[in-house]
Amino acid sequence: MDTPFFELKNISKYFAKVIANKDVSLSVDKGEVLALLGENGAGKSTCMKILYGLYHADEGEIFKEGKRITIKSPKEAMRYKISMIQQHFSLVSAHTVTENIILGNVKGRINWIDEERKIQKLTDQYGFDVDARKKIKDLTVGEQQKVEILKALYLDANLLIMDEPTAVLTPQEIDTLMEFVKDYSRRGNAVIFITHKLKEVMNVASRIIVMRSGIIHGNVLKEKTNEVELSRMMIEHKIEELEKVKDNNYVKDVCLSVKGLTIKQKKGIPLLKNISFDIHKGEIFGIAGVSGNGQQELCMAICGALKQAEGSINLDDTDITNLSIKKRIELGMGYVPSDRHRYGMIMDMSLSENVLLKTSYSSEWKKNGLIDRKKLKDKTNQIIKKFNVKAPGHYSLARELSGGNQQKVIVGREVEFCGEFIIFDQPTRGLDLGAINNVHSAILKEKQNNKAIMLVSTELSEIFTLSDRVAIFYKGEIQGIFKTSELNSEKIGLLMAGYKHQEAI
Amino acid sequence: MIVNLLSRAMMMSTPLLFGSLSEVFSERTGVMVTAIEGIFLMGAWAGFTAAYITGSLALGILFAALAGLSVAILYAFIVVTLKQHQIVTGTAINILIIGLCSFLQRVVFGVPLSPLTVEPLKKIALPLLSKIPLIGTIFFNQNILTYSIYILVPLGFFILYKTSLGLVIRSTGENPEAVDVSGISVSKVRFMTVAASGIMCGIAGAFYSIGYLGMFTTNIIGGRGWIAFAICFLGNWNPIGAFIGTLIFGLAEAFAILMQSNSATMLPNELFIALPYILTIILTISRKSFNVPSKLGTAYIKEN
Repeated sequence: MDTPFFELKNISKYFAKVIANKDVSLSVDKGEVLALLGENGAGKSTCMKILYGLYHADEGEIFKEGKRITIKSPKEAMRYKISMIQQHFSLVSAHTVTENIILGNVKGRINWIDEERKIQKLTDQYGFDVDARKKIKDLTVGEQQKVEILKALYLDANLLIMDEPTAVLTPQEIDTLMEFVKDYSRRGNAVIFITHKLKEVMNVASRIIVMRSGIIHGNVLKEKTNEVELSRMMIEHKIEELEKVKDNNYVKDVCLSVKGLTIKQKKGIPLLKNISFDIHKGEIFGIAGVSGNGQQELCMAICGALKQAEGSINLDDTDITNLSIKKRIELGMGYVPSDRHRYGMIMDMSLSENVLLKTSYSSEWKKNGLIDRKKLKDKTNQIIKKFNVKAPGHYSLARELSGGNQQKVIVGREVEFCGEFIIFDQPTRGLDLGAINNVHSAILKEKQNNKAIMLVSTELSEIFTLSDRVAIFYKGEIQGIFKTSELNSEKIGLLMAGYKHQEAI
Repeated sequence: MIVNLLSRAMMMSTPLLFGSLSEVFSERTGVMVTAIEGIFLMGAWAGFTAAYITGSLALGILFAALAGLSVAILYAFIVVTLKQHQIVTGTAINILIIGLCSFLQRVVFGVPLSPLTVEPLKKIALPLLSKIPLIGTIFFNQNILTYSIYILVPLGFFILYKTSLGLVIRSTGENPEAVDVSGISVSKVRFMTVAASGIMCGIAGAFYSIGYLGMFTTNIIGGRGWIAFAICFLGNWNPIGAFIGTLIFGLAEAFAILMQSNSATMLPNELFIALPYILTIILTISRKSFNVPSKLGTAYIKEN
């Protein structure tokens, strides 16, 4: 038997009391694309961060070509020609592509022209269309990822670990990435591809390792498996099927109406350009698009956190264009923000305090001029129960909860206190399947309660299963509004990439 | 008179340049040296004391550098190693140093009846160059520390933009994570830069005591550390910008000194003394676009 290129043997890793990896053994060969498949929190990233030297294993050994090695830092990992593309890029956005690539890899005086030429050569070799002199902040997310890959290529890496590389890409960019992965592995390099998307696995991998709760649950060659078998290995508990919503089963009353909404940046480039749409009572209106195309600004403008330059917003016949955030909340507007740590909760406060946060000024909570603690406690416990939040009680600090449970509390708060219209901005980002399911049911229930819902998501499957209609955003403009049944993933992909409706057909 | 004013302006710019240039480097790594006022004062005291006791100005400057270094190491240890709040730490150290310097001054010298003085740094007229009319007197008849800024500015620019060290420094303030991932210790970069800044700022402090006045009082610095701190902002975290900023402030200070000695003025003396400080406020407000290092003032805490 051949010695594998890289091998992990019996790796275990514990975070405080939680087991992240237990007895994980895996190997990868030259020329192979190994997919590491599993749900969020299954321990895929942890395991790879150990190989990359970011974490240290509590037990176990690492071998390269049969020789035992220890990797204490990313720098040492690079010495063994291992490179890892993190989920969150570590690029200096104010610096150029070249500056980012050579950071830490050059000594003394820098010959900028030489370095730029070297990098341009690499980009040509792999057919990347990236300008070495451009600043990172002027690049798209897809291009930034290419810069991360170029960093690895600049260092001559032979093993490339990619952590959920397709999460931020358009379908077309995903294709380009897959081509690169295949090309790169054909040149005798190894790739480990971390993902939870079955389709990608079947497309690119030669071998698949499935992880669940920190343990390896399957190691199969692609030819000998199929998506059904993989998903079974991935998910232990059966998930209740969501009822597919039918188009147009909402009432015709307009709830939220946005007309000609435009938001300008300081420099005058519009972040949102002439956005108009209506959301009806009992309708889920999906906003699709690659993140950073104006969705965040739209949510902020509707909830009142961002001043618009032009246009009007109406909620139930009330012109809320110039109303304060507080007034909008009183009118029944809810907002589940995408970044719950930043906009959703105060992590060092208890759950009941976080529940109070949204409507703290309301006389509902007052008793003799003080906060009615008992009422608050009851309400919080009610939310905990109703939304199946796994928490010791209303007194637990928000940060003690897992991401999914934090999100359930926010969703519960918004749903309970907002009677008319709720924005869900990326409500399931970073959640595991159980929590996702929970949030989805909550959204559908609010639809049944005849509330109008705006669902912003980069997960197309989420948009497709939940929305009645979908608006596709690209560079701050609506590419088109469609009934969900009129769309398929290819068409929506092209629209998300900036092709207009006619071209997309 | 104009030549005299400009020559004095060059001289008064010198310590500000030392201070703001080191601030540029530190802040590019993400650490504001808010202890700068204290480091200046420590440098002024140590420089004076060493020069007075040994009779050697060179030793005075050396001790000032060492004193500045020790305060900077204390500051770096608290904010970089222990990751404490930069403004709070700096303020505490500044207060500490004022007390420490008055204390040490008493311990070493007691309460002298007449002010203690040393002969300040001599001006060295460079051969030939100093003979150029006007320019010669302004630029080439200065003391050794002022001459060194002619080298420090281009050197600082070169290091920051043309070397890998500069790239690492600039990246550390923008995205320490990226630096960490490329295998460089963020703490080490920050610690070393702050330490080097301490040396520079210690010398800057000594300039006031032994480079120019030839004496020491506990209010000798009088907020000039903060002015250097502000110049770094105004100069957009760029050595050239810092240089231009120090020239403006040097001029303001020279003007104030000139007006002070010129009693035939209509305006009150105090106004001119306050001039550099007023200028700081006006320029800080009027400065439009800033190029602030995005992680300025933030401790780098590694996950796990």
